[in-house]
Amino acid sequence: MRSMKLASLASMAEMELRRLRHDPFEILTRAVQPILWIAVFGSVMARIRAFQNVGDYVTFITPGVILQSSTFISLAYGIALIFERESGILKKLLTSPIPRSYIVVGRALAGGIRASTQYVIVLVSAVAVGARISGNPLNLITGYLILVLACMGFTGLSILIASLLRTRERFMGIIGAITMPLFFASNALYPIEVMPDVIKYISLANPLTYTVSALRKLLVSSSYDVLQETLILTCFTALSLGVAIKSLRRIIE
Amino acid sequence: MSAIEVRGLVKVYDHKVRALDGVSLDVEEGTVHALLGPNGAGKTTLIRVITTQLRPNEGSAKVFGYDVVKNSSKVRELIGYVPQEVSLWSDLSGYENILIYSKIYGIPRELRSRKIEELLDFMELSEASRRLVRTYSGGMIRRLEIAIALMRSPKLLILDEPTIGLDPGARSLVWDKISEFRRENGVTVFFATHYMDEADKYADYVTLLNQGRVVAHGTPNDLKKHVKGNKVLVFFKGSVDNSRLSEIVSGIPGVSISNLGNDHVELVVDDIPTKLPKILEEVFVKGYSVSEVEVREASLDEVFIKLTGRRITEESGRIKEVVSMRKMIRRGG
Repeated sequence: MRSMKLASLASMAEMELRRLRHDPFEILTRAVQPILWIAVFGSVMARIRAFQNVGDYVTFITPGVILQSSTFISLAYGIALIFERESGILKKLLTSPIPRSYIVVGRALAGGIRASTQYVIVLVSAVAVGARISGNPLNLITGYLILVLACMGFTGLSILIASLLRTRERFMGIIGAITMPLFFASNALYPIEVMPDVIKYISLANPLTYTVSALRKLLVSSSYDVLQETLILTCFTALSLGVAIKSLRRIIE
Repeated sequence: MSAIEVRGLVKVYDHKVRALDGVSLDVEEGTVHALLGPNGAGKTTLIRVITTQLRPNEGSAKVFGYDVVKNSSKVRELIGYVPQEVSLWSDLSGYENILIYSKIYGIPRELRSRKIEELLDFMELSEASRRLVRTYSGGMIRRLEIAIALMRSPKLLILDEPTIGLDPGARSLVWDKISEFRRENGVTVFFATHYMDEADKYADYVTLLNQGRVVAHGTPNDLKKHVKGNKVLVFFKGSVDNSRLSEIVSGIPGVSISNLGNDHVELVVDDIPTKLPKILEEVFVKGYSVSEVEVREASLDEVFIKLTGRRITEESGRIKEVVSMRKMIRRGG
């Protein structure tokens, strides 16, 4: 029984991968922005040496830029559930033998996988413009798994927002309004030490900060000291999925 | 045993809208049972309660003896369900849709590909199975959805407006496939529709629903007795003797006179195709010559009007909505 349930989660991830294979358009267009961040913003900022102690700036911001675009994709993913509520897919899933919590977890996993495609695109383009990223497969895979974990959390958040707002227009408005603050109030583009106090506190409450920090340790400094970040992200994802599962009831009626 | 047993079901949305207002009904195992009513009658709400999606405010619903609230997971194992709206991923192929659902349903790996192949073949979708669902017609979408619902060999198939917005050819193909599957597997079918001809033609039993209440139920022929059944009017050449006319039909069971004129007779007939030849034979034997015969078949729509004062199929707005939704899905919107 348990393996059957896990298989149902895997099948939702498979569904997402198959959709991506048929239509990689979003992934490719979404990659334009991070490539510009790396190639233009990163190169220019590296030249003026705005921050001390960050090493090569393009390398420094690579994990941040991965998160910039993958966070946006996961936060936008909740709209899929709204669409599936309008179509019959959600009704069909609700009457299938899998537990309701798995519908949310499965979709969050699917959203996480869609979002994590940016990992490869951004890393390849960063290395192409000279970023020094660890080539160790273990670091790369661990980094990828941590990214999927965080993106599942953001997808859960997105499902929650979608269940509260219910229309696409309002939803996209809110997502647009929270993505940029999440990005800027984090350590994605600059070290926490240089921030004013208020933003420093916000960024410490921002799950994006911990994801960037974990990726930076794994991919840039080749350090495995990511236990704290992983625990915090696990809590964030568990909490966000828990609330999203509760909000599913609201979507149904 | 009852496949579905509903007692005093009440469902109120947002503390205001009483979508179901004390519905009770029974669906016998092995039958085809139609839920007929206009849009907004509560058909979809009733189906969503029975399929464990919504909790009722009052009353109970059981599927093969299992309560839809207390034993919801057991109920979900027994049913196959096709919602009114499209339940496929339009940006995947037909094959991928049925594959993903088979995995979500936990169909064992060793059965999966054979089962998928069989069902696609049965629904005449094998050739189109590699195409994206976006390119499918409404009828193909419905047939694939029914195939997916049948994949787990359900004991009860629940269809919400299975043919809404389809053209007549696609509608009859969908029903042919359901009937064929039923002949082979004896599944109980419960479907909601606002097409009274469909309920009349395919259902053994019909429940008429209006404003959240059951108005009447029975076989289509029973229900037609509310409007005194089918009528046949026979017009004669020249005037005839009223008293002798009554003799014409006294010997034929299932036929009675409802009205007599001096040149015509109005008959109530239970089964027109078999009784009309007998009536005419009798008329000729008695030596009358007939100028014209008029047949008026009773419809469930008339029954509904008689009982509620409303027509079943008065609006077409909803159908247009569904059709445009399908188009949108096909465009990939």
